[in-house]
Amino acid sequence: VRPPATDFIGLLGRLLEARVEFIIIGGLAGNLHGSARATFDIDIVYDRSEDNLDRIVGALAPLDPYPRGAPAGLPFVFDRATLQHGLNFTLETSLGDLDLLGEVAGGGTYQTLKDSTFEVDVFGFHCRVVTLSKLIALKRAAGRPRDLDTIAELEAIVEERECQGGSGED
Amino acid sequence: VPENPPSPVDAAIEAYKRDVDRTLIREMLKLTPEERILRLQKFVEFATELRRKTLELGRAATGD
Repeated sequence: VRPPATDFIGLLGRLLEARVEFIIIGGLAGNLHGSARATFDIDIVYDRSEDNLDRIVGALAPLDPYPRGAPAGLPFVFDRATLQHGLNFTLETSLGDLDLLGEVAGGGTYQTLKDSTFEVDVFGFHCRVVTLSKLIALKRAAGRPRDLDTIAELEAIVEERECQGGSGED
Repeated sequence: VPENPPSPVDAAIEAYKRDVDRTLIREMLKLTPEERILRLQKFVEFATELRRKTLELGRAATGD
């Protein structure tokens, strides 16, 4: 059963409690940097080590993950083998929509993207988030026309941070 | 030497930037990351409920 709205805190909490290694990107990362734009899902780049895949399965399997937008009744099993055979998964869960990305345009894998992240404390957990400059680079690399106004806002955030005496980053 | 003209993508981004609500950004920057997530959560719940009600009303109006 799909929830009425994505439970950002609940979904993040499950991943963090299970010590899943991941990086928040996309609209939620934008919000954490100060964007006012709404997003309705969580996008994460995950570490594809076997241990981490097991942690992801342990955290998410109870939430009945299923490919978002796919017809009902597919023989989809959310286990380590499925994660190993695929790379990027757009899922719906009982706590909302989650994009599990093994690789992202302009950022590569978890390991390559990790250098462009910082840790933020939310709800008692350390959460790894892509830096603002890298988030802009990812949006540019995606090359989607619908991201242009998002990029404009993110660049405006950099300018506002610089105006406030910061470096443009957190 | 004349400067290189901006790429079409950069030109579009600069055009969009003129319409960015910077007062909203400044308010967001005053919040902690936790407060930003809570704000997003409240908005998404509101938007989802609004969409649900709109669909309900649409169905009622068409008798579906």
